[in-house]
Amino acid sequence: MHRFNFRQASSIAEAHSTHAASDDAVYIAGGMTLIPSLKLRLASPNDVVDLSRIDGLSTISSAGGVLSVGATARHCDVAQTTDIPALASLASRIGDAQVRNCGTIGGSLANNDPAADYPAAVVGLGATVHTNSRAIAGDEFFVDLFETALEDGEIITRVDFSIPSRAAYAKFANPASRFAIVGVMVAETSSGVRVGVTGAGACAFRMSSFEAALSSNMSASALDGIAVDSSEFNDDLHASAQYRANLVTVMAKRAVAQLTA
Amino acid sequence: MEEHGEFLIPASRNEVWRALQDPLVLKQCIDGCEQMTVINADEFECAVTVKIGPVKARFNGTISILEAVQPESYTLKVAAEGGAAGFGQGQAHVQLHETNEGTRLTYAVEGSIGGKLAQIGSRLIQSFSRKMARSFFESFSKQWVA
Repeated sequence: MHRFNFRQASSIAEAHSTHAASDDAVYIAGGMTLIPSLKLRLASPNDVVDLSRIDGLSTISSAGGVLSVGATARHCDVAQTTDIPALASLASRIGDAQVRNCGTIGGSLANNDPAADYPAAVVGLGATVHTNSRAIAGDEFFVDLFETALEDGEIITRVDFSIPSRAAYAKFANPASRFAIVGVMVAETSSGVRVGVTGAGACAFRMSSFEAALSSNMSASALDGIAVDSSEFNDDLHASAQYRANLVTVMAKRAVAQLTA
Repeated sequence: MEEHGEFLIPASRNEVWRALQDPLVLKQCIDGCEQMTVINADEFECAVTVKIGPVKARFNGTISILEAVQPESYTLKVAAEGGAAGFGQGQAHVQLHETNEGTRLTYAVEGSIGGKLAQIGSRLIQSFSRKMARSFFESFSKQWVA
């Protein structure tokens, strides 16, 4: 493996200044993407700044209708929460046991893999991503393939989810990696129906045509005949763009069926 | 993998054609391009740092201009070597059409990767090529906007 300096940070401020002082630094939280990349020498940073032992950064709390998940909360921790069953269910289905026991919500969101599960929840539940310097609306957070609204060196501190009246997440998982070939979060929130899709495009997005249809009729049949544009969808060895477009409808219907059951 | 797109550029076809051959312009428009050296009029060498998700790798490549039909079309062929990360190659076929509002540039890009990058990145190559091509032609057309 490539040689690097391991920097254990004990506070957000320390992590941030250590990152800023290096000419080539990366943050590590759970390391579920970074460590394999380092092993394959696909990344060779000078400094690796560890966020995983910062006090309070993994705290999960619930108050005033908001579930607040600390950035270094692991998937297995979120899977144990009860405030938003759809979110707990999503977390319990990420990757394998090792990934769930090490991987963190902040790491997943900052990495923004196009097939990650959490982005569907952030977009579909209308969450707010808090960082060391600001709050970013879920709708604004995911920009493009592996690209987020985060500035260089910016650190996610927590993610606030307003608790929806009901929500469900359905995904069609790759049988080997459990990554979402397509995953859809459908939620009824105080600001209306939201549909967040992951796996289909370069990054997570909302399906406004589905939202409009479900607002007037929360049933799977309301989605019949709504065209899904696949021109920008991912097309790879696992699934063609057209297949993914079909899955968007099928997963959305499954989520609706689950939510209305 | 193949990716198409088009941009309308508010400039004459000859101006656009000249810019498309200019190594300095190419350097500015390629994300992460650190160096561009002219070998001869139709061949350049470049060094590009590609950053995508967890991957950050430096590629050394050759860009050749093929099948140039002045001022209508050409093909850019890129071959790049990224050491431990792997290698990539690709080509972009660019066509220029005169219109009343300026020059319409259309492109078709295809590419492939090999080595370790391909092992873990094959599911991403199409979205990544789309992103790189778009970013290139967007920066390219922005030269005339300011």
